[in-house]
Amino acid sequence: METSTLLGLYRDMWLIRAFEQGLEREFEKGNVPGMLHTGLGQEATQAALAWHLKATDTFFPDHRCHGINALAQQRHGGDGERVMAELFGKATGVCSGKGGSLHSADPAVGNFGDNAVEGSYMATVLGVALAAKMRGQPNVACAIIGDGTVGRGEFHESLNMAAIWDLPVLYACINNGYAISMPVGEGHASADIVDMVQGYGFSSQQVDGNDIVEAWTAVSSAVEHIRSGAGPYFLEFKTWRWQGIFAGEFRPEAEVKYWKEERDPIMLAGETLAGRGVAPNDLEAVEQEMTGLIEEWIAFALESPEPDPAKATADVYVGWEVDSR
Amino acid sequence: MTAADTATPKRTARTPRKARDRVRKVAFTRALNDALDLAMAKHDEMFVIGEDIAEMGGDFGVTKGLLAKYGPERVRDTPLSEAAIIGTCAGAAMVGMRPVAEIMFADFIAECYDQVVNNVAKLHYMFDGQFKAPLVIRTACGGGFGGGPHHSQSVEGWFLNVPGIVIVAPSNPIDAKGLLLASIDSDDPVLFLEHKALYRSRAEVPPEYYTTPLGAAAIAREGTDVTVVAAMRMVPMALDAAAKAADDGISVEVVDLRTIRPYDAATVLASASKTGRVVVANEAPRIGGLGAELSARISEECFSQLRGPVVRVDGLDTPIPFSVPLEDIVLPGTDDIAAAIATAAQY
Ligand SMILES: Cc1ncc(C[n+]2csc(CCOP(=O)(O)OP(=O)(O)O)c2C)c(N)n1
Ligand SMILES: [Mg+2]
Repeated sequence: METSTLLGLYRDMWLIRAFEQGLEREFEKGNVPGMLHTGLGQEATQAALAWHLKATDTFFPDHRCHGINALAQQRHGGDGERVMAELFGKATGVCSGKGGSLHSADPAVGNFGDNAVEGSYMATVLGVALAAKMRGQPNVACAIIGDGTVGRGEFHESLNMAAIWDLPVLYACINNGYAISMPVGEGHASADIVDMVQGYGFSSQQVDGNDIVEAWTAVSSAVEHIRSGAGPYFLEFKTWRWQGIFAGEFRPEAEVKYWKEERDPIMLAGETLAGRGVAPNDLEAVEQEMTGLIEEWIAFALESPEPDPAKATADVYVGWEVDSR
Repeated sequence: MTAADTATPKRTARTPRKARDRVRKVAFTRALNDALDLAMAKHDEMFVIGEDIAEMGGDFGVTKGLLAKYGPERVRDTPLSEAAIIGTCAGAAMVGMRPVAEIMFADFIAECYDQVVNNVAKLHYMFDGQFKAPLVIRTACGGGFGGGPHHSQSVEGWFLNVPGIVIVAPSNPIDAKGLLLASIDSDDPVLFLEHKALYRSRAEVPPEYYTTPLGAAAIAREGTDVTVVAAMRMVPMALDAAAKAADDGISVEVVDLRTIRPYDAATVLASASKTGRVVVANEAPRIGGLGAELSARISEECFSQLRGPVVRVDGLDTPIPFSVPLEDIVLPGTDDIAAAIATAAQY
């Protein structure tokens, strides 16, 4: 990988980290309603995916994917601050505050929205992929799911149908070791999800999700495979989430220490860049730039107005109005 | 046009042969098949999808012949994956396709309930109007043939509490065709309920393309003393009961809802206000069902015009047993509607 590419990914990972850390702070202050899930510690997987997806592709982000949502905005001419504003439930959000963290969509940048019933879009992604195939478009339809979501029936229905119809689906499974508290090896027939996928007969690969170069390279070849018409591809990213159960920690101290101190994907990428001669000041500047940008987004979200009350009853149906109070 | 308008003209020896040939009495299933065929010709972005719908034409033959005409890309067989069927429709609809799914028996919708309730019905709203879900879910519902607990249910109540979904429920072949064509045209997601006991009913169905408006009830029979509000199979039963009541000097108006959600409150309330005596008939269990909603709404909005309480006719509060005599006890019939009319007429 060229150093300029790696630097770009380093920047993208920092954008995600700054986003999530700023969000955590605002959540604790009570400025962000609802629930909070963050992608901290998993920045490499999201940066790698965002890099290779075009605006004409489709991705279904999961509950830790604020970062990829923001990167898609940046890469495809949108406004990252609107992703932030959505999490604050504001009128300027990508869904005018109606979706929030768990239902942020913006089809203009390929973001087809999270579904808070984990894994339900494993079925939806089939339809997007089928439409692309029927229309002869070289688009990729990507579903991003956690390891816990492998337990859903729709996970298996989806892999089976994608296989029999040879659909252009990229499955990105973020295996961070746990569902909420259930360890992956206890919840599934195998702790390595790719082992379970093999029976469906299409290409799959397990990669180190904290090594940005490995993750980026794997996404690159998976996307190329799909665009060439060779059918679905399953990528399992082995990683670890910094967030425990909501705000609490339940995992052994040694495990937490290992992943945060030795396997931090941003730190690892920084070491590689330093090894290639990038000056510490330049790396530091990336962090500062991204932190500054996110503070602007947060200020934008805080200053934005609440949604128009008419939005409460808007768009229930296309063909009918619904009464308000 | 309603079922009441479609009584077959008597064929007499004097009917010229050509005119007789033009009389085209077709079955409900065939009317639906016609609608699918016409819609596929009209909408390039439409496809049909479901279990055994291609070569076999579906369990009830509704999709027969479509494979030969439109090919396997647009007439798509699936494995037993109800959630994936509806998810596929949802995703395709999000990018502008117009899919029509068949869920073989309505009871199996429980398998894709999440897709319908949490995904399809909310797509337009939760993403702030950025997506539409112009898809139709056709499914065979209702009892009366010994289908037992998992092949006989009336599922409209499962969806009455779900904003965003349209529930269409024809009672006769003419409406079935027009409503299905309107459902496919609609940019809202439609749950299209086909009562199995109506599949073999026949009527003179116009062969050409036409639509019957969604959200509009029909007056299946005009009357002045008692209103019966019904849908699907309860409509022909209500018409039979109305004919019997006429012999006793009671004039019954039958309102065929045709769309159950959002339903045509204006027509229902106008009829209730006119007669002041109302029976609501539906096949599903009473608690939390269509009858409960109609009864509450009519009571709230027509209270001063009503001469007595709304009388409900429903299925009993049980699963549906296999034994036909037991099923007869559980499901409402013409006699139950007739008795309810007699009760209401006393007020
Ligand atoms: C169908 C469904 N069941 C349960 C939940 C509650 N829930 C939210 S996140 C979660 C764990 C998901 O685990 P995983 O897929 O591994 O994602 P992670 O949070 O580890 O990134 C659960 C059980 C849900 N949202 N949807
Ligand atoms: Mg997990």
